[in-house]
Amino acid sequence: MKAIDVQNITKKYGSFFAVKNLSFDVPEASVYGLLGPNGAGKTTTIRMIMNVIIPDKGSIRVLGEKMSEKMKSRIGYLPEERGLYPKMKVGELLVFLADLKDFRGLEAKNVIDSWLKRFDLFSWKDKKVEELSRGMQQKVQFIATVLHKPELIILDEPFSGLDPVNTKLLKDIMLEMKEQGVTIIFSTHRMEQVEMICDNICLINKAQSVLKGNLDEIKKAYGKNMVILEYDGNIRKIKEYADVEKIDDYGKYMEIKLKDGEDPQNLLASLAGKVRIDRFEIKEPTLNAIFIDKVGEKNE
Amino acid sequence: MNKIFAVIKREYLQMVRTKGFILGTILGPVIIGLFIFVPVLVSVMSVGDQERIGVIDASQEVFQELENRMDFKLKDGRQRYVLESYKLTAGMDQLKESLNQKVLQGDISGYIYIPEDVIKGGTVEYTAEHVSDFEEISSISKVLNNVIVEKRLKQAGLNPEEISGYMEKVEFKTQKVTKKGVEEDTGGTFIISYILVLILYMTLIFYGQIILRGVIEEKSSRVVEIVLSSLKPSQLMAGKILGIAAVGLTQYLIWAVFGIGLSSYGRSLVTGFLPEASGFKIPSIPTYVFVYFVVFFILGYFLFATLYAAIGSTVNSEKEAQQLVMPVTMMLVFPILLMMFVMRSPDSTLSVVLSIIPFFSPILMLLRICILLPSFIQIFSSIALLILTTMGMVWFAGKIYRVGLLMYGKRPSLPEIIKWVRYK
Repeated sequence: MKAIDVQNITKKYGSFFAVKNLSFDVPEASVYGLLGPNGAGKTTTIRMIMNVIIPDKGSIRVLGEKMSEKMKSRIGYLPEERGLYPKMKVGELLVFLADLKDFRGLEAKNVIDSWLKRFDLFSWKDKKVEELSRGMQQKVQFIATVLHKPELIILDEPFSGLDPVNTKLLKDIMLEMKEQGVTIIFSTHRMEQVEMICDNICLINKAQSVLKGNLDEIKKAYGKNMVILEYDGNIRKIKEYADVEKIDDYGKYMEIKLKDGEDPQNLLASLAGKVRIDRFEIKEPTLNAIFIDKVGEKNE
Repeated sequence: MNKIFAVIKREYLQMVRTKGFILGTILGPVIIGLFIFVPVLVSVMSVGDQERIGVIDASQEVFQELENRMDFKLKDGRQRYVLESYKLTAGMDQLKESLNQKVLQGDISGYIYIPEDVIKGGTVEYTAEHVSDFEEISSISKVLNNVIVEKRLKQAGLNPEEISGYMEKVEFKTQKVTKKGVEEDTGGTFIISYILVLILYMTLIFYGQIILRGVIEEKSSRVVEIVLSSLKPSQLMAGKILGIAAVGLTQYLIWAVFGIGLSSYGRSLVTGFLPEASGFKIPSIPTYVFVYFVVFFILGYFLFATLYAAIGSTVNSEKEAQQLVMPVTMMLVFPILLMMFVMRSPDSTLSVVLSIIPFFSPILMLLRICILLPSFIQIFSSIALLILTTMGMVWFAGKIYRVGLLMYGKRPSLPEIIKWVRYK
């Protein structure tokens, strides 16, 4: 069964298309990445899935049904524009948000406590939200999203504002939940996160889908003519050494996409002796490279 | 319904725990109590001082009579005024100059100059350091008048006692007719109506602002979309408005308990300490006024709370809200400006019409109910119109609220807001 089935949705604001003819589906118990540059239409899409915005055209089915109010307690949603009541105590706030999901009583209290412990926030339970740091508030928001044990979790830019330690914690929890059969869809413009955890992706640019499907298949389809180079020295003349389609130079690190039929070994031979080579790796294109290739502009 | 209840519970508990609520609830009756008791206490407690007043009686026939009649007593039994006669020895100007000095030095508080021709219509002069004590001046002038008028009558060969019998002032008693019969009005109606209407006005504005601030806080803290992932905007709005209404009613309940306590024990408490205060009456409020007060608070509150909620949803900060709130607040201020007019002619066509117009009716109809119980049809139509308007507003505000809550950035223009209403 499909956890989310989006068919041809369109949302217009005046003459501006926020989302245009977008279709994708999310298999159950998988992690789905919604990618795209800022302003591509990711948040609008997610809000339409959550029924916060109503699409002008197209249909959306969530957990096999049309989205309705009573579905809301089966879904956990972390919006992009998120915050908490600043004057409320952390524990009270989580009890309130659980209450809104029809999750009450002793069980709710125990679940909240165990999540607070897992995120190292238990000692903050009786503190007011405004006393927490931004990162801590992010964690509380995540707890609020998952505490009622939803079947489907929708996260809009879940990693923004988290430090590496908490990013890893969040990633581990997401994979753990997938093991338990929970479906997760999240949006991001950070490619390395997607590569680590996504099964499937949909790349949106300028309101439309430009690439979608299984992540491994997408990478395979892009061919194995990608070279990762870590170097020291001047290689401005690299285009003379090989038939290069595209270069992404970061100074000491370079992603080179060779044209079809070009042998990477020739490039290695040409480079040898001219610069110091710390790493020369032939691999599938990174998602970053695909993203830049498809979107045609550098992401941040 | 469970979800609305969760929101009500949150709003209520968050609000009643704030310092503002606790202070306002306690200080409210304390301040009203002070307003009532302080003037009573001051007038009961203050004894006052004796005053020495000089008299230059150039006519030489008024002083004795005046001194006999200026028989005002202080609370401790002493004479309030001590009159001292000054004889004209040297020139008049010299005498006046020396008395002026005495006034400035505080030997006497003032002096009266009675001209020779006072019986024939000459002007009496009263000179003092300050002449703003209205009560003092009017009692001196009244006594002086009596003395001189009597002298005139005697000169004309008339009997002053007989004449004063004819000149007896007509008794004029005010009373109001109600369904229960005719009752005397001691002026309590005026005070009670005034206080009740002001309480209604202040609480409507106060709780409206609370709603406004609550909505803006939800928006600016970005918690609203998290909350809306669990319930509908209309449920959130309903919960918020009902929760704050419960806070308002709690406050009223506390005040009512205070009030009832005050009217049943307050009097005996005060008179226990100060027996002299027993003359002061605490006016009683008919039960139906209380009932209508609560009815109009609830209805008026719902009408204005939805408006404030809708405004809150379209802005990003309280500062931005102030402009938009103005017209709404004006609709509450306007009836207050008309209060005096309605009090003076509560049954005029204009008063009746104004008290039926929905946005004014909570304040003006309540005022008319306090003053004279209007006909059932008038009360009924004002309540019915108020309910209909509120229902319309809930629908209209709900539409704006739903879209506005998730709009950040630039404040929308009026045409944009009207467009929101048409979104499905």
